[in-house]
Amino acid sequence: MQKQSEDKQTAETGDWSSRSIGSNWQHQAFYLMIRLGGRRAAYLLLYVVVAYYVLFSRLARQRASHYLRRRFPETTGWLQLWHCYQLILSFGKVLVDRAVVGIMGPEALNVTLDAREELLKLRDEQRGMIMMSAHVGCWQVAMSALDFLQRPVNMLMRREDGDIDRHYYEHAGIDCPYRVIDPTGYLGGTLEMLGALKQGQIVCVMGDRLLGSDRSTVEVDLLGEKVSLPFSAYKIASATGAPVVVFLTRKDGPASYRLQLAQVIRVPELQGRNAETFRPYAAEFSAALDKFCQEYPYQFFNFFDMWLKQQPDNKPTIRSHDGYQGKTEAGSD
Amino acid sequence: MDIKAKLKQVLIEELNLEDLTPEEIEDDAQLFGEGLGLDSLDAVELVVVIQKHFGVEIKDMEEGRPALQSIDSLAAFIEDKQQG
Repeated sequence: MQKQSEDKQTAETGDWSSRSIGSNWQHQAFYLMIRLGGRRAAYLLLYVVVAYYVLFSRLARQRASHYLRRRFPETTGWLQLWHCYQLILSFGKVLVDRAVVGIMGPEALNVTLDAREELLKLRDEQRGMIMMSAHVGCWQVAMSALDFLQRPVNMLMRREDGDIDRHYYEHAGIDCPYRVIDPTGYLGGTLEMLGALKQGQIVCVMGDRLLGSDRSTVEVDLLGEKVSLPFSAYKIASATGAPVVVFLTRKDGPASYRLQLAQVIRVPELQGRNAETFRPYAAEFSAALDKFCQEYPYQFFNFFDMWLKQQPDNKPTIRSHDGYQGKTEAGSD
Repeated sequence: MDIKAKLKQVLIEELNLEDLTPEEIEDDAQLFGEGLGLDSLDAVELVVVIQKHFGVEIKDMEEGRPALQSIDSLAAFIEDKQQG
């Protein structure tokens, strides 16, 4: 975690950063516990660490509160703190599990995939696939369940300076199993995404985080309030005919994850870049995410304030997304 | 109408650059960033309209990056593909 002074300052300014929570040695302590005692040993340490941060870190509570106060709007006091503890604990377990896969091998966790046949049919359309996820569960674990598709996987992601969380392949000391497209690269990586889809490949994006310029967002409802979601992926789907496959992962047991095909969004050929044109598709995604949050309230790990501030006249403010442009890191990565 | 003139017309119509006239678009002006000020989403649209109006496909980054620099480079790319 950040130092207390930085903690206070960040909490006050409301700045959000995707940088890792925790210092390097603290992460190393968890890795050591995994090596010595496996997943359960790391969980034991986690219970204590999470309790400490929930009680004493204003920043941790503030980051969790953006989501929690929308998901549990009536909650106050100790119950609010309990929700915060549950959410951060779930998140910590996901980070531990991710390290477990890298250190002990993929067989340490069981990943169940729903809708295998449907995914094969979508692949066989030969238009590529946009696999759209969100900051839920552990998408890295889920990636290992996509091998059966036998298509190269491209991941739109960028790691911020100061991010010390390791991806599972870094723990394992193997090459990155997917091609990384940098959203801050040439034209936001759009040409690379188009090229990959034209070759029938898979492109993975996060539907709950901005990918390109801040012009490319549309307002939709999530948990009863407006959020601004990117629509670039739907535009690319429209240009290529690729289906947008919304898949959401969740931890459904001590050592198991489930990869759920939540929605297949079909975007017809649409002209122009008017946000309104793409609102129905972004709304389909947000509805799927909303349903997920209702069913699994402690598995949405988006620790920044994605909800638009409301003005007294009820008009949303224009918000700059520069601080988190193109990130997949909200913490759950 | 030559390729460059048609390109300019297509850009104005399809990318909603109505405040520009074909004469105001320089042949060597950058399409993205400074210059015409197009962005990543316009790039997607541009790939689509190039295929639609000129029957030329920009398949990947290797082809697209040099081609999408300016009207000059894009016209040369289209001409090359149409002749090839």
